[in-house]
Amino acid sequence: MRSVLQKVAVTLLALACLYSLVHYWISVRSLNTITTGNQAVENWEARLEPVKQALPIKRGIVGYVVEWDVPGVKYAFGDLETEYFLSQYALAPLILVQGAKAEWNVAILKPDEIKIWERIYQGKFDVTCLKNNVYLLHRRGAP
Amino acid sequence: MILTIFFFFLIPILNGSLIAHLLWPERKGSALLLKFSLGIGMGLGINSILYFLALNIAPKQINVLAVEVVLFVTLGIIVFLRERNQKWERRRFLSLSRIQWGLIIVGLIASAMLVLIFVDQSIAQPQAGIDAWSIWNRAARFISRDPENWRATLSPDLYWHDHADYPLLVPLNVAWGWQMIGSENVRVPMMVGAFFVLASIGMMFATVALTRTIGQASLATLVLMGTPLFVWAGAGQVADVPVMYFIFASSALMFLALTQQNSAFLILSGFMAGLAGWTKNEGLLLIVACVVALIVVNLKELFRSLKFFLAGLAIPLTMILYFKSIAPPSDLFTGSSALVQILDISRYWMIFGALGRQLLTFGYWPFSIFIGLAFYALLMQIHWETYFDKGLQAMASTILLQSLGYFLIFLLTPHELIWQLNTSLYRLILQLYPSELFLFFSVVSEPEKVFKPT
Repeated sequence: MRSVLQKVAVTLLALACLYSLVHYWISVRSLNTITTGNQAVENWEARLEPVKQALPIKRGIVGYVVEWDVPGVKYAFGDLETEYFLSQYALAPLILVQGAKAEWNVAILKPDEIKIWERIYQGKFDVTCLKNNVYLLHRRGAP
Repeated sequence: MILTIFFFFLIPILNGSLIAHLLWPERKGSALLLKFSLGIGMGLGINSILYFLALNIAPKQINVLAVEVVLFVTLGIIVFLRERNQKWERRRFLSLSRIQWGLIIVGLIASAMLVLIFVDQSIAQPQAGIDAWSIWNRAARFISRDPENWRATLSPDLYWHDHADYPLLVPLNVAWGWQMIGSENVRVPMMVGAFFVLASIGMMFATVALTRTIGQASLATLVLMGTPLFVWAGAGQVADVPVMYFIFASSALMFLALTQQNSAFLILSGFMAGLAGWTKNEGLLLIVACVVALIVVNLKELFRSLKFFLAGLAIPLTMILYFKSIAPPSDLFTGSSALVQILDISRYWMIFGALGRQLLTFGYWPFSIFIGLAFYALLMQIHWETYFDKGLQAMASTILLQSLGYFLIFLLTPHELIWQLNTSLYRLILQLYPSELFLFFSVVSEPEKVFKPT
């Protein structure tokens, strides 16, 4: 009896492994690039391409301005954090730091948000509007 | 393009295999498979070290591929001279029993499915998950886009979640691959991931076949391959499968060293432990765990075994120490109030609770694999050869110490514990999983005993 059970156990274990793979394969086949967000990486890279071209520096620190730098603007931290990762990945080897702390800075803001930001930092930055709500900010007076 | 990438990486892999063969000239079929599986990790490890040295000495001026080719020719000549008068054993596959053939065929079906899943997942997620591109491939981009200024990837100005302190074995190989083909093709990190999946499967089959039977090796490999998390992480372009492979390789080699009294395995074990630390910070814990395990298990021959282990460890450890001297500190060791957290009982409950849930759901299996294996062990019965004792003790000690280290990290993490557990516990369990499977299939009766002809 025990020997039969042991044979069943070996057979079941082997078949369970195959079943597990089939089960997982079905779920993988239902994945697509839209649901997995992979298009986001490529779309974001395309979105930041103009700023990459416009930046006169190819290494060093670049400021990164988004909704969390604009007082009164509501934002979801998780979304902005993911966008930061996407931006950092796209603009590497430049190092993105939060806020307009560097000579050259990238802002990703809606038109009304950039207006608020400009009011706060009036006269301190030259703002160049690129495509898709992306702005290049250059600190005035910097060499 | 895939073939071009494959051939660029084939040279380092062959170099690793030849080094393994020089250290351990065994010619059995399973030994050759083990050496090829070791060669993948060793080769990619050595390649990353050579590239790291080139970046530090004269970036863009040292051709790492040329160094690899010279190494290959040199090793090839040495192996040829040594092997030309040796007799090679011819393995007769027809001598396998029916159950062994059956399990091998099931294993081959599972391998084919694994390949298809890997390809499907890579097509569906060419950039893989957020950790892949925000941590590992980001670091690779820093290196490949500006090799002269590669240290920017270690900048403390990077956001903490970019993990600038993470070791560079995987990013260096990806960056090297990109440089070789001249573009940032996503197939490079995919292939690096595939190599480690393949190496882990080969390691599992070869080590269990060497120490037990073909049937047992097939079953152990099937369980590893049947774990969806394994292929998910392998195709995910992150370093969890590479570090899992190195942890398994190091502890399995230590097992072989202690059971077969062969010092070459200890040298290889030390080297693999070092490469684990060169892959991910968890690997640093493994180095400590291996040394402590050797002290505990092999006290009588401590000096001899430590000497060989440390000899293997020396080169990767030197790289790690240098790397850590220029890298920013880990986010896990900044600003936590250790004593308060150690005294907080609720943290223990939270960790044990999460661990319990993982035991039921680990690996995306449709059922609990750990409970399944417990029933399997009950039915099949546990027994082991006494000469396994030291090897089993060393491997069990390594797993135990590594788990203890992970537990302490959870206890002391400055981040929110629930977040830390949710995002990393399953990956840490995966890192120890093949070592646990090896240990399990080393002590459970083999299928050949059950299906032996009457």
